[in-house]
Amino acid sequence: MNRKETVNELQLLVYELDVESAMTKEVVTVSPDLAMDKLPKILKSNRITGVPVTEDGRLVGIISLEDYVRWAADDGKPSCVGDVMTRKVHTIYSDEPLVSAVSRLERFACGRLPVLDRTTDTLAGIVTKGDVIESMLGNLEIDYREEGLRTYRTSRFFEDIVSDSTELSFAYEIRGESISEGGEVASSLKKTLRRLGMHPDVVRRAAITVYEAEMNVIIYAKAGRVRVSIDQHHISMVVEDEGPGIPDLEQAMAPGFSTAPESVRELGFGAGMGLPNIKQCAESFEIESVVGEGTTLRVSFHMEEACA
Amino acid sequence: MEVATGPMTLRRIQEMLGASCITADPPLDLEALVGCASDLMSNVLAFGRPHAILLTGLTSPQTVRTAEVADCVAVCFAYGRQPPAETIELAEGSGIPLFVTPLTLYAASGRLYELGLPGCPEIE
Amino acid sequence: MCLSDIARELDLTVIYDGGDIDREITGGYATDLMSDAIAHAKAGDLWVTLQVHVNVVAVASMKDLGAVVLTQDRQPLPETLQKARDEGIPLLGSNLRAFDLIGRLYQLGIRGT
Ligand SMILES: Nc1ncnc2c1ncn2[C@@H]1O[C@H](COP(=O)(O)OP(=O)(O)OP(=O)(O)O)[C@@H](O)[C@H]1O
Ligand SMILES: [Mg+2]
Repeated sequence: MNRKETVNELQLLVYELDVESAMTKEVVTVSPDLAMDKLPKILKSNRITGVPVTEDGRLVGIISLEDYVRWAADDGKPSCVGDVMTRKVHTIYSDEPLVSAVSRLERFACGRLPVLDRTTDTLAGIVTKGDVIESMLGNLEIDYREEGLRTYRTSRFFEDIVSDSTELSFAYEIRGESISEGGEVASSLKKTLRRLGMHPDVVRRAAITVYEAEMNVIIYAKAGRVRVSIDQHHISMVVEDEGPGIPDLEQAMAPGFSTAPESVRELGFGAGMGLPNIKQCAESFEIESVVGEGTTLRVSFHMEEACA
Repeated sequence: MEVATGPMTLRRIQEMLGASCITADPPLDLEALVGCASDLMSNVLAFGRPHAILLTGLTSPQTVRTAEVADCVAVCFAYGRQPPAETIELAEGSGIPLFVTPLTLYAASGRLYELGLPGCPEIE
Repeated sequence: MCLSDIARELDLTVIYDGGDIDREITGGYATDLMSDAIAHAKAGDLWVTLQVHVNVVAVASMKDLGAVVLTQDRQPLPETLQKARDEGIPLLGSNLRAFDLIGRLYQLGIRGT
């Protein structure tokens, strides 16, 4: 069966199968009183990225890894799940066709839908994109567990059925009043990546990259921004500024080349090693610069061990 | 006379450099794996190995940021130079112990090397 | 210890011999900050640095330093080399990082203050 035929069959199946056949029935739930810092362990040990919040079997909200990350990135003040969770939860009934789940997951850009029993209105299960795919592939008798096939099929079928939007992203402003303020972005990103349980080597390389880029923006361009996005396999970063631009990129990339004035060198910068460092740290590296318009740097890192 | 080379505790480093610790509750049992002497922050970041003790004359908050980002185990300032309050504050916040030695950067580095703290000679 | 002996012992590249490669080195000094060199380096010191710009030679000459050694295989800028020639300051190079180079100099008996 070629891919196109497979997709056609999948599209038929989503109308035939019901949510109950795909959902996970043993649902991990948490109470609204749970402390936020206990959440990652629960998510991680159950290998899930979000969990319904219940009170006496009644669904009162949902809390995801994404909520956790935002909470953690925003200082991580002691809170409990009830303060941070999303209260307005999109749900689905267990007897609805799978296609409703697919379209709801897609429309509301959420990773999971709590499933309710229509007669009792209590939580009956939970369904994720992964569950949908697993159930459909199971019905097609495709052994998706086969190594290699699994990742390929999962990612391709995602594209075909629902566009994957399980990405986390953060943005930071870089304001360069003085060199001594530089490094805030690197420091807070480092803490966030650490809290997410990423491999220390990846965290270190990502932090070094942001730090060097941040200092360059402060020293040469005064202001700019960093956007970081994380999916299951990569951390990608874009650092852009509207500064003076770099006239000769090849020269700027050469180790030791620097236009930093003496005042900057006295503050410990201007060794001409920043861009070469970034290139060394990142798995992919692209820099674009237009004189008088600004500079954009795009880098990415492969993650071996991300949490959840 | 051959000296055994290897990691060195912050306690021993402090003692050997006659240094004072200027951050609260220093974890003196932590070990520095290597020594790094530099006043240029990108050079510290390019230093390929975590758990280094950073010896430097630069006392700005950037030194702490750099140590944090590069996973240094501690920073030791030379020339008896007391860092500004913002540097100490930042270090307390990010858990980087700070020391101050009356020695020059040269003498402090030479002394630790002589006592067996390895450097990181190879340039990646 | 004389500069040529140090260069031989530690495998230093002689970029410019300063007109007298056998001069006596009386101590060691390391910094990448010009202000520190101005404040603390002593006449006759061998200066270990990663900085390659022309001010290094200007400061070395002003303070009567014995020589400058550039670490990590750094090459001097053309104007730095020119200034070294003008001022008669020996410029040497090492592939080591500062901590290692200082350590080995120290073991040769080149002490600092
Ligand atoms: N965002 C930017 N806008 C304009 N010019 C830049 C920017 N980033 C780098 N440059 C130019 O490229 C040169 C090399 O940058 P690089 O980060 O490699 O070294 P450096 O900043 O000079 O020194 P170091 O990073 O070692 O402190 C800079 O001196 C500057 O001229
Ligand atoms: Mg830079």
